[in-house]
Amino acid sequence: MRMIWEDLQDKSFYQATARERAFGLVDKGTFKEFLGPRDKMVSPHLLVLGEALEFDDGIVVGVGKIKKHPTFVVSQEGKYVGGALGEVNGAKMSYTLRLALETYEKMKEKYGEVPDEKKPLCIVSYDSGGVRLHEANAGLLMHSECMELFYEFQNKVPNFSLCGSTIGAYGAQGFVCMSADVVIANDYGRIGLTGPDVIQQEVGKDEFDASDRALIWRTMGARSKYILGDVDYLIKDTIGAFRNQIVDLADLPMKKISRSRHLGSPKLVEENLEVVKLAAEIKANDSKDLWKYYGNDNPDELPELPYDKFISTVKRRPRAI
Amino acid sequence: MAKQFLYVGKGDQAITDICDADSFVENKIGDSRLDAELAPGAMVGEATLDGELVTVIANNSKRPNPRFRVVYNGVIGMEECYKFAQAMYATIEADKDKPLKDKRPIVLLIDTPGNSPGKVEEIVGMTKGTASYQFAIEDARHAGHPVIGMIVGRAVSGAFLCHGLLSDRILALPMKYGTIVHVMPTTSIAVITKIPLERLNELVKTNPVFASGAEFFYKLGGINEMVEDPKDMKNAIKRNISEVRKLRLEGKEDQLGIWHRGVVGAERGGRAKRLNAITKMRAEYEKLLPELLD
Repeated sequence: MRMIWEDLQDKSFYQATARERAFGLVDKGTFKEFLGPRDKMVSPHLLVLGEALEFDDGIVVGVGKIKKHPTFVVSQEGKYVGGALGEVNGAKMSYTLRLALETYEKMKEKYGEVPDEKKPLCIVSYDSGGVRLHEANAGLLMHSECMELFYEFQNKVPNFSLCGSTIGAYGAQGFVCMSADVVIANDYGRIGLTGPDVIQQEVGKDEFDASDRALIWRTMGARSKYILGDVDYLIKDTIGAFRNQIVDLADLPMKKISRSRHLGSPKLVEENLEVVKLAAEIKANDSKDLWKYYGNDNPDELPELPYDKFISTVKRRPRAI
Repeated sequence: MAKQFLYVGKGDQAITDICDADSFVENKIGDSRLDAELAPGAMVGEATLDGELVTVIANNSKRPNPRFRVVYNGVIGMEECYKFAQAMYATIEADKDKPLKDKRPIVLLIDTPGNSPGKVEEIVGMTKGTASYQFAIEDARHAGHPVIGMIVGRAVSGAFLCHGLLSDRILALPMKYGTIVHVMPTTSIAVITKIPLERLNELVKTNPVFASGAEFFYKLGGINEMVEDPKDMKNAIKRNISEVRKLRLEGKEDQLGIWHRGVVGAERGGRAKRLNAITKMRAEYEKLLPELLD
């Protein structure tokens, strides 16, 4: 399939394939894929279990440029086995992160201090349910590899999480996603640890009715996450909108980019714990209880408001830092 | 021998059996005092191992969380994650003026069935809780504290990811003592993947990649060492502490932690294709490197 970069900018991020997202997010013509479909590096485990194979194992990874920044991209394909991660696609993801960090270290050797306008960036476009059960143990291990690298990224490699594809960022990918410096989402983005079906199965329908679409959106959806501060930028649904948000932030000093971090320090532990305590104190049983607490008098209307109206009127949890 | 569930649901007993007699002081780490009301099932504190001061992190399955109904039986919920993280930072603070060789070890006794699958957890962000604990463990490791995970019971999915998998070294009791290491049981994998259970059970014999059990995880490099006899746990932990400390003093960080377990896995014949993928990617990367650094 031929991709025209200019067309990709206006394309719906939600409907785009992993490869379209990867190509469109970086500067025109700069994306170089690692282990592309031609390499036919398929999962050895899905084959044995009789599943259909994809030559890229459901993930597109590589490096391009945004202005002068080498930009490492991981783009997950939710349409293939739920975007879930196993041995091969997991290694593609975690090793791409490792190469981003290595590029930072090499640049530091070369320049002494890495110039703000040249520092490597990392973008992960999430579309995954987490661990691929067919190769669950390998999937578990790759998540820890990602977490160690995201830890190492701090104050070095700006780390952008993009949420707005079909599956969301669920399971262990949910917490990998939240470990970034900046979380960007469109209205379709969803972030969670335990998906609706699993909650219903494990705890019961009185805890979570997985057939209630509205409940799913207001619990895990981007609007709620934006109000509660987990999503930093809620943007329109085009690849170009995601790209522009990153372009806007890319040249800033690392310190400024990491101001929106959601975790990774004793201070943020205390900030997050305050919200946990608040939820217990007001016996929050629905996200609307917290939306209201943070000053929204119209919680029933918020999910339905047109995007522009929502953005201009919504009240968000004030961040402590 | 019949399977024994030696420490399943008995994290407190594991502390008693592994640490010196009566040495565990709950909710105290150095000069810090942790809130006993917060996350009652999250057992953190100081103890000694043959006289050496260590921080201990475990789960007490008998103490449900009164504020979160899904948190019981050793489940790690949001409060539990943040309390564990506080324990890491208290440990770092307690030894901040000590040289690398004297940083106190952290021992994670692992028996947890999972992170809490609840609605309020999803609203507020179970994701941030578990990631916060993981980053705190990394902070402790980077400050020089040897972190040893000891699987005594259940090491399940996301809860194992936050509580154990990032340790410098992971040790485990064999399955015959009731240890459970997996994302989900093979029966559930069969339901979700729609692959017949008989077929999965057949495949498990030759492929450790989705099999449930510490021995399979060992083959993949996910566990560094099996401790065959529970009586040997204390000595195995102590030996690993001194090995980790030595490697860290020698600057051999690359022989510790999760990435090194990838190397260990390859040596044991597990995750072979991962290595192929990485090798090929490195070659592609190196060709691009000059223009990336330009």
